[in-house]
Amino acid sequence: MTVTAAPPAPATASPTAPASRSRLRHHGATLALLAPAGITVVALVLVPLALVVRNSFAAPDAYGGVQGGFTLANYRELIDPVYLKVFGYSLGMAALNTVVCLVLGYVVSYWLAGRPPQRQGILLLLIIVPFWTDFLVRTFAWINLLSPGGPVNALTDAVGLTDGPAQWIPSQGASFIGLVYAFLPTAIFPVYATLRGVDPSLGEAARDLGCGWWRVHTKVLLPLVRPGLLAAALLTFIPTLGVFVIPVLLGGGKNQLVGNLIVTLYTEFRNQPMGAAASVVLLALMILSVAVLGTAARRLRGKTS
Amino acid sequence: MRSRAARTGHLPDAVTGWLARGVIVFLYVPIVVVVVLSFNDSDLTYKWAGFSTRWYGVLAQDTDLLAALRVSAEAGVISATLATLGGLFAAMGMARLGPRGRALFSGSLFLPLVIPEIVLGVALLSVFGTLRASLGMTSLVLGHLVVTLPYAALIVIGAHRALDPSLDEAAADLGCGAWQRLRLITLPLLKHALLASWLLCFTISFGNIVMSTFTGGVGTTTLPLRVYSLLKTGLTPEINALGTLLVLFTFVIILGAGLRQMRRVLVDDRT
Amino acid sequence: MAPYAVTSYAAPARARTSSHTLGTFPKGLAMSRTTLPRTLLATCVLTVTAVLATGCGGSGSDAGSSSGGGKELHVYAWAGEIPDSVVKGFEKETGIKVTVDTFDSNETMTAKLSSGSSGYDLVEPSQYTVQQLIGQNLIQPLDHSKIEGLGNLAPKFRTATYDAGNKYSIPWIWGTTGFAYNDTCIKSATSWKTLFDAKYKGKLYMLDNMLAAYIAGLQVTGHRATSTDKDEIAQATEALQQQKKVLAGYNSTNYPQLLSTGQACAAEAWSGTAMAKVVASDPHVHYVIPEEGGSIWTDGIAIPKGAKNVTSAYKFINYLLRPEVAAKATDDGSSASANQAARKLIKNKAALENTAIYAPDEAIAKADFLLDPGTAMQYFQQGWTKVKAS
Repeated sequence: MTVTAAPPAPATASPTAPASRSRLRHHGATLALLAPAGITVVALVLVPLALVVRNSFAAPDAYGGVQGGFTLANYRELIDPVYLKVFGYSLGMAALNTVVCLVLGYVVSYWLAGRPPQRQGILLLLIIVPFWTDFLVRTFAWINLLSPGGPVNALTDAVGLTDGPAQWIPSQGASFIGLVYAFLPTAIFPVYATLRGVDPSLGEAARDLGCGWWRVHTKVLLPLVRPGLLAAALLTFIPTLGVFVIPVLLGGGKNQLVGNLIVTLYTEFRNQPMGAAASVVLLALMILSVAVLGTAARRLRGKTS
Repeated sequence: MRSRAARTGHLPDAVTGWLARGVIVFLYVPIVVVVVLSFNDSDLTYKWAGFSTRWYGVLAQDTDLLAALRVSAEAGVISATLATLGGLFAAMGMARLGPRGRALFSGSLFLPLVIPEIVLGVALLSVFGTLRASLGMTSLVLGHLVVTLPYAALIVIGAHRALDPSLDEAAADLGCGAWQRLRLITLPLLKHALLASWLLCFTISFGNIVMSTFTGGVGTTTLPLRVYSLLKTGLTPEINALGTLLVLFTFVIILGAGLRQMRRVLVDDRT
Repeated sequence: MAPYAVTSYAAPARARTSSHTLGTFPKGLAMSRTTLPRTLLATCVLTVTAVLATGCGGSGSDAGSSSGGGKELHVYAWAGEIPDSVVKGFEKETGIKVTVDTFDSNETMTAKLSSGSSGYDLVEPSQYTVQQLIGQNLIQPLDHSKIEGLGNLAPKFRTATYDAGNKYSIPWIWGTTGFAYNDTCIKSATSWKTLFDAKYKGKLYMLDNMLAAYIAGLQVTGHRATSTDKDEIAQATEALQQQKKVLAGYNSTNYPQLLSTGQACAAEAWSGTAMAKVVASDPHVHYVIPEEGGSIWTDGIAIPKGAKNVTSAYKFINYLLRPEVAAKATDDGSSASANQAARKLIKNKAALENTAIYAPDEAIAKADFLLDPGTAMQYFQQGWTKVKAS
């Protein structure tokens, strides 16, 4: 499902126009289309990013600001088993969260895309509304729900799963529920957006040809929504690494994610240069893993087709 | 053949359908608590002290909180619209690029996602500082745009790539101009993706804390910032009342839209 | 449940294909007929209307940056520490329009100020941040000839080493760092050792804040909270690492709730509104300044370098120094006022007895102001990283 560049020139429309001029116009239009996002990224991301990279090689001043100079000390300090542990734990947590969110995201999207079209907008709204209530208020609601003797505890008591007050908060499990909850819409929306554009008759055709439910999904639909799944994976995996309130409130704050680490470096430790260095390392790791994933996906696609 | 296929699809579809409904219910579990506790007579959110609507009265009087709500809503609407438009244009532009250019461009689009928000926020703040730009609504929206753009871009680009390119080609062959193709083919096909992108971007902007901390200025304390700093004095059910009203407000929209649809169906039937 | 998913998903397309010759084309047309755009439009329109409706009464958000006149004041403060009644009273008396923005940590406020374009006329840093802001040249010395009522402050806030003689800041609110316990679980407690006691394993919390954690760590190992000695800090680190095994977690957000519901037997705590509310409403929860000393903090008012509305800023400072205004910090904000003369004007007498607001004088006799650790920061950083990652 690769979109090769749109027809190079409207040949039928102006057969007499010189090819070079229409190509020029074509390039001009492409640039104009890419400009808004492009300018935003360059001015508001690449420029600050250059600053971050520069700061990561600077020495901190007595107040944690950036002093200037050139040093590798910030990076050297990061090569510490303590930090490696934080990075490793974060990657594991983010991967697990991404897998769960993607599976649920696909299921919900598939169901959503099967609703009558006029109802889908409403359902989308229905899915997103809970997130308009302040994040902290929602998190406190979870704390209320999961606290010993709380509603969930009462339910499990009644069913016989537990006997008396259960200590679920703080715990890794509670933290994980919070993560899944927070990232469900980010997983659902991109998959749904892509699935909606897929011609439904394809799935139908596959079914007519005798494909079972599982094969309709794995062989027909999943490959078609791959761009959406990839987007959802990126939008879930990367921001999970940066989460810092959930692990503290629901997980007790005993296990840090990279997000906590960098926030701590920037605020409590007032060590911006080292925070910058940690961000650069995170950035490099991300680019590397995306590149590896991309190559793997391309290989896989090459094999199947 | 067909009947066998239909039968094999029946059960798994039912199971995933219920699972999907379950997920939506799951999303509302904490909201139920929020709504119930908004009617709590106590000063403390977590201890029930009888039914009362007094927090709605407190909320109506709380000009600071309402001002914060307004700032957040404004920033959310503007940045979600800008991000979604930017994403749409980027998706259309990228389709005209070669594979290499496309990879490079989409790579740079998801950069802001990879840099921790606090790092990007502090860096943006020093960029604004260097430019001697005063902080306010504009800088706040720009900050939120940076945060939301990757979401808009990835959603719209993903949906755009899944479109059948032959549609556009066919229309071009039939003599449709670029604007006509956009209006008649691309936009209708991407409508749901655009809606999804806008809603997600609005929600992300509306709930953003970290970026707002650094790019906001005088008079632009956003709702989440306000709530977060209220922690120091302890949250009251007032915040729950606000959450309840927001949910209610949306339900009214949904209901309104539903009623109109029903009427349209009836009118359509008659004609 | 019919096989709704796949079939109804495909239905419109199939219906269309029968009447059209192009196989894949009609879906777009079918969709453009649906009512979805209206839903979308309605959502947008209603949201925008709501935004505008709530907006009409409010102030312009970019206001102030343009008009540099003396009729405005931009304040950046901790939430809830400058009560609404104080702001309204000042506006009424002077006609100056006050915008109060709130922050949740000294560090964010510092970052904003150091960008140089924050636009604030008054900020409310804690004592160790006052030191840092002076060092970074971000706040200006106060002109005492323009200030009336400094004498109303309690003596300990006039001579404190972080800003002796109030050259840069006027203390407004003060409080303590100690701990609180629930007596259904612990009969009574007076020492930091409670928070290190394996008996209460899984029911203990520490503040999720390095400086606060080290107050306990340093004092429990027999050192002063203001220590900058490498070995002493290392001992504190060791103690905190051991402590982590018995902790339920680190929490600086909802610990008063955890104490009240009994999920926490004891928790390190800051005094102030949130803690005071629980102490006042729950007879089982007690706030104590540990016998090892604990620590006091204060949030004061300072004028940033480059402030535009300096005249208004001084007016506001003088207003805050009035005893009857300072009393409102306690009456309307449940915080302890640094203003000695305000004490007898406080109407809420219970607040004066609440240790989570006003700690008794004898309890804070040994308490130090926490200061900027300076270059010792690196020992704290390395130590705390070890504690958090262990």
